[in-house]
Amino acid sequence: MSDRSVLELLATHPFTADLSEDQQAQLAACARIAHFEPDEYLLREGQPATAFYLIVSGLVSIEVFVPGHGPRPLQTVEGGSAVGWSWMLAPSRWEFDARALERTTAVVFDAERLRALFLEDCCLGLRLVQRLLFIVTERLRAARLQLLDLYGPPRER
Amino acid sequence: MVKPAIATPAATNPFFPLPFLVISRRRETRDTVTLRLRPLSDVRLIAQPGQFMMLSVYGVGEVPISVSGLPRRPGELEHTIRAVGSVTRHLVALHPGDQIGVRGPFGTSWPLQLAHGQDVLLVAGGLGFAPLRSALLAILRERWRYRQVIVLYGARSPADLLYRRDLSRWLQRPDLVLRITVDHPDQYWRGQVGVVPNLIRQVTAFFEPANTVAMICGPEIMMRFTIRELQKHGIPDERIFLSLERNMQCAIGLCGHCQLGPFFLCKDGPVLPYSRLAPFSEIREF
Repeated sequence: MSDRSVLELLATHPFTADLSEDQQAQLAACARIAHFEPDEYLLREGQPATAFYLIVSGLVSIEVFVPGHGPRPLQTVEGGSAVGWSWMLAPSRWEFDARALERTTAVVFDAERLRALFLEDCCLGLRLVQRLLFIVTERLRAARLQLLDLYGPPRER
Repeated sequence: MVKPAIATPAATNPFFPLPFLVISRRRETRDTVTLRLRPLSDVRLIAQPGQFMMLSVYGVGEVPISVSGLPRRPGELEHTIRAVGSVTRHLVALHPGDQIGVRGPFGTSWPLQLAHGQDVLLVAGGLGFAPLRSALLAILRERWRYRQVIVLYGARSPADLLYRRDLSRWLQRPDLVLRITVDHPDQYWRGQVGVVPNLIRQVTAFFEPANTVAMICGPEIMMRFTIRELQKHGIPDERIFLSLERNMQCAIGLCGHCQLGPFFLCKDGPVLPYSRLAPFSEIREF
């Protein structure tokens, strides 16, 4: 897939759509397009975190493997969102599994090149880190709400 | 010759329950059933989607339950009930042929007329889908009156999903956007996992915020986060409607058990626009 296709996707993806064309081009230079079939893993717990995924379409399950129980989904991520930030922090290993539930298309960034780009262009780096932080915050909020067991039994009547 | 109307105690006294017969019982989940009720008197109790009835089990007690369906015949009622206490456990254990007492309808209804010509966004969590189901059925019965119809539904687990037959049918409809999510999936679940407010950003392409009427029902924390998300996407507070559950006892605004700020939720609610509730949103429960 050519850079142009990556550029087209970056121009419409909510994570990157409002960046300048130059910035999108800088990012496109670090990225490729990948397709994942149902049940194919994007990333595996414990493996080196070498990529960052912008999900274009499809559905991805973030999950943890529980011995004796198999994969336990924690959350799903749909087109328009992102997967994976373990590459930003040492020791850069995935903490969970991510598995496609449907045929999924993603823009996959090379983490090493992305880190280098962030250092080279700190303004772009800061903008993207802020966006990542927004996603991390959203996921944290969702996880907290899930912990509350909102739909449990109400008071007795 | 005009037949003289006979005033029954129930017709004149809002505290007097009318006898109803259970004509069908459908198990929804492990602890939840949907009962269809037929009046045993000539008095018709016509409930609008969003309103509630007081259902009484003779000798046990009375509970407020929203209508969850539309009448198939005049005067019939449909209620979805989860067994959480003494009265509701008795209601869930009823079978066709059993009798209960019913009074109502009480309270305000969903703003279906306001939604004519508008996009409609229904956001339901858990048992909160029951009051919204009656609104959705009314909307689908007159589908041409509305623009986009979007339904977001979150449940605890796949086993806790209500109205599975309806859901399968609605998923096939091209004129309805339906997204379902669960908090705790089982090994067979292939759908979305996560909380229901997260679904909103997936459907923003389907509604115009200024021309949308949103109706929300579910646990109050879920509604709070859903409101924030709707506000983020530009839906004005006066177009966000909530159904609030409280300790309704008399159901006619006399006893004060359901008071929230200046509102008696049994008669000023249960359905209210958020613009009226917002000043009281700092009260620990809405």
